[in-house]
Amino acid sequence: MTKLIEKRTVDMEVIGEWVDPASRVLDLGCGRGALLHYLVQTKEAAAVGVDLEFKRITACVGRGLSAYQGDMTGFMRQFPDRHFDRVICSRTVQELDDPTGVILEALRVGRALTVGFVNHGFWKNRVDALLRGRKVRNDVYTTEWFESSPSNPVTIADFEHFCAAKGITITRRAHLLGDWRTPCPALPNLFAGYALYDLAR
Amino acid sequence: MTDPDENESPHSSLAAGEVGLVVPRDFVSAQPFTFKSGQTLPGFTLRYETYGSLNATRDNAVLICHALSGDHHCAGVHAADDRKPGWWNNLIGPGKAVDTNRFFVVCANVLGGCVGSSGPSSVNPATGQPYGISFPFVTILDMVRSQKLLLDHLGVASVHSVIGGSMGGMTALLFAIEFPAFTRRVLAMATTSRESAQAIAFNEVGRQAIMQDPDWNHGDYPKGGGPRVGLAIARMMAHITYVSDASMDRKFGRRKKNPANGEAYNFDVQFEVESYLRHQGQAFINRFDANSYLYITRALDQFDLAHAYGSLEVAFAPVQAECLVVGFTSDWLFPPEQNRQIALALLRAGKSASYAELSTDLGHDSFLLESEELYALVRAFLERHEAAAVDFSI
Repeated sequence: MTKLIEKRTVDMEVIGEWVDPASRVLDLGCGRGALLHYLVQTKEAAAVGVDLEFKRITACVGRGLSAYQGDMTGFMRQFPDRHFDRVICSRTVQELDDPTGVILEALRVGRALTVGFVNHGFWKNRVDALLRGRKVRNDVYTTEWFESSPSNPVTIADFEHFCAAKGITITRRAHLLGDWRTPCPALPNLFAGYALYDLAR
Repeated sequence: MTDPDENESPHSSLAAGEVGLVVPRDFVSAQPFTFKSGQTLPGFTLRYETYGSLNATRDNAVLICHALSGDHHCAGVHAADDRKPGWWNNLIGPGKAVDTNRFFVVCANVLGGCVGSSGPSSVNPATGQPYGISFPFVTILDMVRSQKLLLDHLGVASVHSVIGGSMGGMTALLFAIEFPAFTRRVLAMATTSRESAQAIAFNEVGRQAIMQDPDWNHGDYPKGGGPRVGLAIARMMAHITYVSDASMDRKFGRRKKNPANGEAYNFDVQFEVESYLRHQGQAFINRFDANSYLYITRALDQFDLAHAYGSLEVAFAPVQAECLVVGFTSDWLFPPEQNRQIALALLRAGKSASYAELSTDLGHDSFLLESEELYALVRAFLERHEAAAVDFSI
């Protein structure tokens, strides 16, 4: 899993560049708070995370973070418009029951929304699917179909289409190659392993 | 809360890792004390216990706040052969979640209580008789202010944390509101910023059971006397609200007290749950004062942060403490939603606040649970910042 941890750190650095110092940040699906902790340390962000699991909240609390155990949409509904400077949805979007609902609600409570996701259209996934004819499994997609909760893999093309259809403005994009480090020069839906979007209404 | 408890495993209360023998002390304030109601006392007494020691910078105190029927004896034992230790002994002690090697733990019986602190069963020096219901009306704010005086007396410069469940959670929150610069952390569990109609209703049934007992006599009864039947019934009913359908079913089910008797066509105790509740009621009347029960339940009912300050956000505006609120899924007295709303209002007010929710089936009293998960959370909250290394693991 070392490789994956490394990739997560890269993700944090890219998001960190987009976060203004001392801004108010909400992380949807904050896990054990690694990203939030990084943003607090490097950007002095006023950060809060939402997650479903008690043990992850415990980890966040131990890091001195504010964290809320519960449903992310229910959480956001309790806040006024544009309460947060930025909402972050990092590698969470493919797990959501209602991605549209969450993204639109995040664009209400946040002035900006950062969405980061693994691009399922990455060429290796395509080749893998074509040759093996089975669910993609690699460093990123680690589970058998019967081991994990339903996930909803998304591609860069799918996501851009979604934003266009919903009238969501894309203010910034970052497409990274399979190493999640090098910027992707062309054909991102085929060659980018990871995508980050900054959205606004 | 229920008594700490029958099914507690036998333990060696003097072993390493336990608080051990403790001696309650009295803090006597000779200064006149004005209650929120405007009524005054020439002075008051709080009975309290402390464990661990105050550090040189006088900033490692942890104030533990008890619930309705609790008291200052939250850890350790008063004698080597005590049958059970203080009510939160599982949480507090050397090396435990509230580590007495690190923290100076203070717990006081509340003003209005009946376990050594000034309350309606105290003798009014002016008459030589117990105050009864001539004792000033007590609010959570009065409990907070009096306990602050105790902490000042003990030389505490600022309190590391204020921790409490149920009514203790209310007290902890109000501490952070009233003494923002003094209160650095608040841990409130199974609590509410204001009771629902249902919770007030249960308290009212308890009060009526007491007040309709002829021995209540408008609060005028001798020590050891009073409305024993009414108080026992109040306790039996309240006890049900502290547990849950699932936990009662597991503990008692429909088990009969004397199964050999077969069907009994009378009103004697038949089910174990009846016997248990009767025992709870009887045990309670030997340790609790009926007038205190009236006063403290009234204080609980009147507690309403949103009403007192205009809104929850306004109430929390002065808070400087980092706050952690913990709800329990099976708590139907102060349900998770009411705990959640506290954390959300703190966050809306721009405060540092977390909310965690533990899945249990033990009802309101879950905050007293022996749970490694809960201990880990409490420890993480109290000992945060001490983990100096930045850890970016997943």
